[in-house]
Amino acid sequence: MRRRAALLSFLLPLPAWAGDCPLDLGQGTTGLVVFSSHYMITFRPDPLQIEVGAPFALVMNVCTRRGEAAELVRVEATMPEHKHGMNYSPTVVPVGNGRFRVEGMVFHMPGSWELGFDVRSGEEIERLTHDIVLK
Amino acid sequence: MRRAALLAALLVAAAPVAGQAPLDWTPDEIRAVASHGPWPPPVAVDRSNRVSGNPAAILLGQHLFEEPRLSASRQVACGDCHQAGRDWRDGRARGFGLVELDRRTPSLWNVGWQHWFGWDGASDSLWMQSIRPILDPREMGGSTRGVAKLLREDRQLACGYERAFGTAPGADDERLLVDAGKALAAFQQTLVTPRTSFDDFRDALVAGDTIAASRYPIQAQRGLKLFIGANCASCHFGSLFTNGEFGDTGVPFFARDGEVDSGRLGGIARLRASPFNRLGQHSDDATDASATRTRHVERQHRNFGEFRVPGLRQVGRTGPYMHDGSLATLDDVAQHYSEVSPDRLHSDGVPLVRALGLSGEERVDLVSFLRSLDSDTPKLLPPAPLCP
Repeated sequence: MRRRAALLSFLLPLPAWAGDCPLDLGQGTTGLVVFSSHYMITFRPDPLQIEVGAPFALVMNVCTRRGEAAELVRVEATMPEHKHGMNYSPTVVPVGNGRFRVEGMVFHMPGSWELGFDVRSGEEIERLTHDIVLK
Repeated sequence: MRRAALLAALLVAAAPVAGQAPLDWTPDEIRAVASHGPWPPPVAVDRSNRVSGNPAAILLGQHLFEEPRLSASRQVACGDCHQAGRDWRDGRARGFGLVELDRRTPSLWNVGWQHWFGWDGASDSLWMQSIRPILDPREMGGSTRGVAKLLREDRQLACGYERAFGTAPGADDERLLVDAGKALAAFQQTLVTPRTSFDDFRDALVAGDTIAASRYPIQAQRGLKLFIGANCASCHFGSLFTNGEFGDTGVPFFARDGEVDSGRLGGIARLRASPFNRLGQHSDDATDASATRTRHVERQHRNFGEFRVPGLRQVGRTGPYMHDGSLATLDDVAQHYSEVSPDRLHSDGVPLVRALGLSGEERVDLVSFLRSLDSDTPKLLPPAPLCP
């Protein structure tokens, strides 16, 4: 019973069209999900545990409601409380089939970070965000 | 009878100090204290340095560290500023090589775990940082050719080089200079501070051992609570008490009349311009993974006036303080953070550095905590001969 409730809480927030988007991020792993009315992004850090001051990458999958190709334009991270970003500028590398690898992420302080993903499948760029608290 | 007396003495020694009970620590505070350990961390290994951890290279590095012939005048060695008997610094407000410098000589304790070197982070490896003062005309004023010639022509150094690197010194001068830096780095990676009374307290608190925890002075406990409450660990993070990055702490920008020290802003420019950074041909890391920071570091306006966050282990014995040595004592540092001007720091959000408004008693508590990060260090023995 508890297991079913946990499963529902994971599935319910996803949009109805999410079934067409692969949650798999390679090597049998899944990750965190952020979505809007048009985009859904699945991502996980590599390594999985983010440490203060240690470089990490993001393994990402970006897909759209209508199934057209999408581009991950940019990834940023900021500390909204202190109004500053990272000391490093990450690079986005497309690896095919809607997958991307983002290299050069470093959270140099503990606290609340906001990840910003700029995605585009047409003219306009849309930003999706996700909050992470690092202790 | 004698055994009973001995047992009683041992029990007294194991008991909390009379009249002292440890302060109450919340789960969040215990988590914060735990984040500053355990100590020591795993041994530092630099993949860009093929002789990192190599005993023969460490020995060669120790010899080179005290070698004045690396300098132009043949009179200035690394160890003249980073003095073994003075916690690997010189105790001056500003360093002095061939002339007086603009910044303080930092201690080298625990330097092997850093990832940026120098107050402005202009070096991304300890071997690159070790080359810099040799060539700097204000510090040692040496030359690539001079270092290479010394390694080739001095029989002991040449023999030590061959034992460390597996081949006799070759004809490539720049490679020999870099290898000298790598041997110097291998030696400096061995400079690790011993455990401290803070580490014993931290471990006792994590283990729930109140008897052991109560041996840590109440004054230091109060200071530690202040340190946590003021979010000092945002920058002075982890077991090294530094996140290894850079910050503006409100110290005046001027290095001398009419001349500013741009700090990290200039440091990144120098890093990128150097042939000795991790992206260059001299890195030994075939995977290139250790160059991630160098490849992605971003030069931003806010880097102006930022300087490397120093670790705090051995801080009570390594003054004066700040990058320019402008504060003589730890109490001066506590007073600086107590009164620092928000106008000088220009923060748009919640400022990381703000006036703490500490009372005199609180400053004493904070300093007491900081001094609990000090330890007596073993005397370094003179190095064995390179090739007896």
